[in-house]
Amino acid sequence: MPVLVGAVLAVALGILAHRYRPLRTSILNLTSWFLTIPSLAFFALLIPVVGIGDTAPIIAMTFYALLPIVRNTVAGLTSVDQAIVEAAKGMGMGARARLIKIELPNAWPVILAGIRVATLLIIGITAIAALVGGGGLGQEIYSRGINRIPSPGSLEAILGGTGIIVLLAVIVDTIYLGIGRLTIPRGLRD
Amino acid sequence: MTDTMIELRELTKIYPGTDIPAVESLTMDIPRGEIVVFVGPSGCGKTTSLKMINRIIEPSSGHIVLDGEDVTNVDPDQLRRRIGYVIQQIGLFPHIRIGDNVATVPNLLGWDKERTRARVDELLDIVGLDPDIYRSRFPKELSGGQRQRVGVARALAADPPVLLMDEPFGAIDPITRTRLQNEFLRLQDELQKTIVFVTHDIDEAIKMGDRIAILEQKSIPAQFATPEEILTAPANEFVEDFVGAGATLKRLKLTRIREIDIIDDCLTGSITEDKHTLRRKLDESDWTALLLLDEQHRPIRWLRAPDFRHDRPVDQMGLPAVAFVEPHATLSDALEEMLIGSAGVAIVIDSRGTFQGILDIDTIINSIQLMRDESAEFYRAEKLIDPAEVVS
Repeated sequence: MPVLVGAVLAVALGILAHRYRPLRTSILNLTSWFLTIPSLAFFALLIPVVGIGDTAPIIAMTFYALLPIVRNTVAGLTSVDQAIVEAAKGMGMGARARLIKIELPNAWPVILAGIRVATLLIIGITAIAALVGGGGLGQEIYSRGINRIPSPGSLEAILGGTGIIVLLAVIVDTIYLGIGRLTIPRGLRD
Repeated sequence: MTDTMIELRELTKIYPGTDIPAVESLTMDIPRGEIVVFVGPSGCGKTTSLKMINRIIEPSSGHIVLDGEDVTNVDPDQLRRRIGYVIQQIGLFPHIRIGDNVATVPNLLGWDKERTRARVDELLDIVGLDPDIYRSRFPKELSGGQRQRVGVARALAADPPVLLMDEPFGAIDPITRTRLQNEFLRLQDELQKTIVFVTHDIDEAIKMGDRIAILEQKSIPAQFATPEEILTAPANEFVEDFVGAGATLKRLKLTRIREIDIIDDCLTGSITEDKHTLRRKLDESDWTALLLLDEQHRPIRWLRAPDFRHDRPVDQMGLPAVAFVEPHATLSDALEEMLIGSAGVAIVIDSRGTFQGILDIDTIINSIQLMRDESAEFYRAEKLIDPAEVVS
């Protein structure tokens, strides 16, 4: 969920940053600034606003997802061959049509790579959400693992939780490979 | 209908942050149905001038009149759909198929599917790409020359009256470039578009242009005239320097094969004839070789008397026919083909490959001689009216 919201928001921001040069640095700085906030602190800061539970982590993770996606959206759009854009313009394609029909499809492989990095990043951070009352695999590691050391079964819980998170990351990564195969236009694939 | 398709009036471009204009007060009439070539050293503003016509670059001042209508302030997207545009890097859209690339402008204009499809096939056919094979390929699967053909097809899609070409053959290897130039000229014979063509290569300008504008810095025309005039009567030192040495050789590029007398009565035989008939034909004639044609009258092999001694099927005797040229090719092309093919003669064929005649070195030398005489007369005439001479 955070990835999806983050992706939509980030691609929009990325397009904005690409279009209006003056905004580019501020948008990129802002998003990287979010990433420097320690996740635990970020979760904690949001608790007074949205309370304990799943909401705080979801909001925070959306922000974390922004940076890689915005960056790659800008990079992807910038890397589109200018000759293609000029050809489109020269044939009378308007700015919006150019963006949707030409620029975004050609930048898509790079944008998708950004979304993939964001997802993996978030899977790692999610575990910490348990500390602020969120659910998920973090519960396994903290409540049943770290908090109960040295009672029996705590180590197994930590390892189990970690293992599942890694497994999840691998599975998600594979899914992205599939998404790439399905959504990247054939003419752009090697 | 006026005879002028594009009128440029006092066009000036000053890029932001610079004082010196890139193009200064360019005024020019571009005649309907002709190829006008802008040629000049790099940085002379020729590309800027071209791109102001479809307003990829907005002029700082001045007017553009297209077919009698002032288009300086109309909606640029609408304007560009009426003007074909071909750039050096081609700029095919890599993520869509060739057919969809060609269909770009028809789609923008909202043509119905059936009409677009038919037009795409027609165009691919015109530029020499089999629609059934290439329609559904992606740009990366094509060679540079094929891509540029698609680029031209795409620019022609909605049948615009005007075509702007910015060094269209600049990034293509020399042999393919010559072929594409020839094909394009043949195409233009039928289409009669008004074309503005930018190049830095004077040879290409001479070959392609009905009229050439040699541009100095700030896109100031040093001479705007036909290739013949520019070669025989350069307006000033700048033009002379730019045209460079070897004006006679360059004039070979101006003369097309169809303009001179080719040898059309040379000895030919058909593959359907038997060996003895062919042998007898050769023996009875003054020719040392016989050109063998296939059922469609396409030349296939050269046969000489000694070749008949070997016991081989007719279609494997002698030497394969090489050095083919089409009537619209220039004498320079013919000479080049002869040199490449190490042949003493070039074979003239039409676009379907049917035999038309042959052309030998002597024919070319004769026509050079003729040209030299003409220019000698031209210069003598100049001298006669030279006031300096009269005074002395």
